[in-house]
Amino acid sequence: MSTDTTDVPITGKLQVGVTSGKRRTLSQTEHRGKWWRLVIILIITGVVLAPIIAVFVLSLQPSLGSTATGWTLENFSLVFSQTNVGTWLKNSLGVTLVTVVVAVAVAAPAGYVLSRGRSRAVSGYSLILFIVQSLPVVTAVIPLFILFAQIGLVDNLAGVTIIYVGSTMSVAVWMMAAYFDSIPITLEEAAWMDGTSVFGSFTRIVLRNSLPGILSTAIFSFLLAWNDYLVAVVFLRSDDNYTLQIGLQTFFQQNQTNWGLVMAVAVVMMAPPIILFSVLNKYFSVGGIGGSLAGR
Amino acid sequence: MSTESVAGALKKARRGVGVAGPGRSPGARPAKKRKNSHARVLLLFALPSLILLVLLNLYPVIYAGLQSLRNGDLISAGDFVGFSNYINVVQTPEFWHSAWFTLVFTVTGVFGSWAVGLGLALFLRTRIPANGLFKVLLLLPWVVPVVVSATSWNWLVATPQSPLPILFDALGFGNVLFLADPVLAQVTVCVFKVWVSFPFMMMMMSSALASVDINVYEASKVDGASSWQTFTQITLPIISRSTYISWILMTIFCVNDFPTIFLLTGGGPVNATRSLVVLAYSTVFQNFQTGPGVAIAFIMTLVLVVIATMLYRQIRKVNIE
Repeated sequence: MSTDTTDVPITGKLQVGVTSGKRRTLSQTEHRGKWWRLVIILIITGVVLAPIIAVFVLSLQPSLGSTATGWTLENFSLVFSQTNVGTWLKNSLGVTLVTVVVAVAVAAPAGYVLSRGRSRAVSGYSLILFIVQSLPVVTAVIPLFILFAQIGLVDNLAGVTIIYVGSTMSVAVWMMAAYFDSIPITLEEAAWMDGTSVFGSFTRIVLRNSLPGILSTAIFSFLLAWNDYLVAVVFLRSDDNYTLQIGLQTFFQQNQTNWGLVMAVAVVMMAPPIILFSVLNKYFSVGGIGGSLAGR
Repeated sequence: MSTESVAGALKKARRGVGVAGPGRSPGARPAKKRKNSHARVLLLFALPSLILLVLLNLYPVIYAGLQSLRNGDLISAGDFVGFSNYINVVQTPEFWHSAWFTLVFTVTGVFGSWAVGLGLALFLRTRIPANGLFKVLLLLPWVVPVVVSATSWNWLVATPQSPLPILFDALGFGNVLFLADPVLAQVTVCVFKVWVSFPFMMMMMSSALASVDINVYEASKVDGASSWQTFTQITLPIISRSTYISWILMTIFCVNDFPTIFLLTGGGPVNATRSLVVLAYSTVFQNFQTGPGVAIAFIMTLVLVVIATMLYRQIRKVNIE
């Protein structure tokens, strides 16, 4: 990472003309400071991650009424064999993956228009995106609920998926547009001169070079759909249609919550985003969202 | 992207054309005709997203706007009542209580997470072994579903038998009821929001700081500026653009935030943490009054758009300078 070496040129320049003995002392202080900073950041990270670590630890502890002692995977086998967690996991995965695919497929060409188009209609389109983005989901959910009730999409996973695609749209288009901005248009112009169609140049030149942008958009859509609570709690009514987010709430009992089981479900729920994130974290850019917002 | 891959793609594209047959010579098609067909293709490109935006974003809002002028519920449309829903809503003390908490929640959410995020971004810029790893680990609160983190925070603080109240008791603070006392519950929700949001700010600020030229710091160090002076006079102005952008986005995130509050406290105790979104939600889905519920959401959105526009203007000003 480039930031790792930021201090080097400073010390290097400042020490011009300083004796070599002095230089050694400086680097020794710096060396000691480095380990102090490591201790500090370790403590900060530990405190910050404590709630997440607690989820893992509790999920591996014997739950209420269990005979097991020490570390155990019993909670996981219990929730998968005796509750609906398997179905909810399947629902969550299905809804999320369809959302990601559709969102990228629709947002990529639209982002291309936003990036390359220079007409009034395009700036109007950009304005629509900006307005849509600042509207609260609660306002959209009410009329959609009434509309979807009439066409049988309430308590229906397809209905929830459609709403997720809609709510990813404005940011997804922005993210794709911001990435396309970084691809020089001269390439496409050269291809057009050779007789390639706009569609051809889009798929063969622009998309082929946009994997990082596509991945960022996909990660954004994934997290939005996977982490949603509000839409799911309003639209999903029956146990078999629950996503994990809603399913987890059924574990909370009035008097005594079985934390072992709750945390096992929580681990199942946070595993996909954490795995995705640890594999693809370099494509995980929120800066892209902000940058594209201010650029227009 | 490296120029190499771009050049490679261009070559490939050229080859693709070559296979299909001899390419048309430049200018074989009149330029104007080509421009028109471009516009048509671009319209086709934008069409699916436009349909989705209109159907799933604009239509609901317009429908909701009309519904806010009626006295209906989730099933029937009701009668036209003009602006009485708006007038009635702003006359209730609940509305102003919620508005006040929304303001507190948003201000602490935005500036709390910004301060923590910027602090950590600056700290991670210094030489720390494996700082890339910490950068990734510290983003986890933003990545983990709010349902999970709210569950975990509930376990940490909710009851007197939870770990944190026990710890506070042991430290001599007495029996602290984080979610049962109205003021403490408000504080807890705000801290929770900062915990969820600071990674976003850290990322925004990290990428802003990465673009700062090191030579600037070098020069100020030579001129004898203190580190505080360097921070306020150099770092802050350079990252001001990103700062304003992150404030706008975080303001929108905080005002519109439903799950963070709802899952931790449900708006309680005695409605102390009921923000405007939670109030709108419960008005519609628990009391089945769509008109007043939408009116609340609309008033909130209007104020939000005004604030966002003001901040947006500030960015443009920074850009011009």
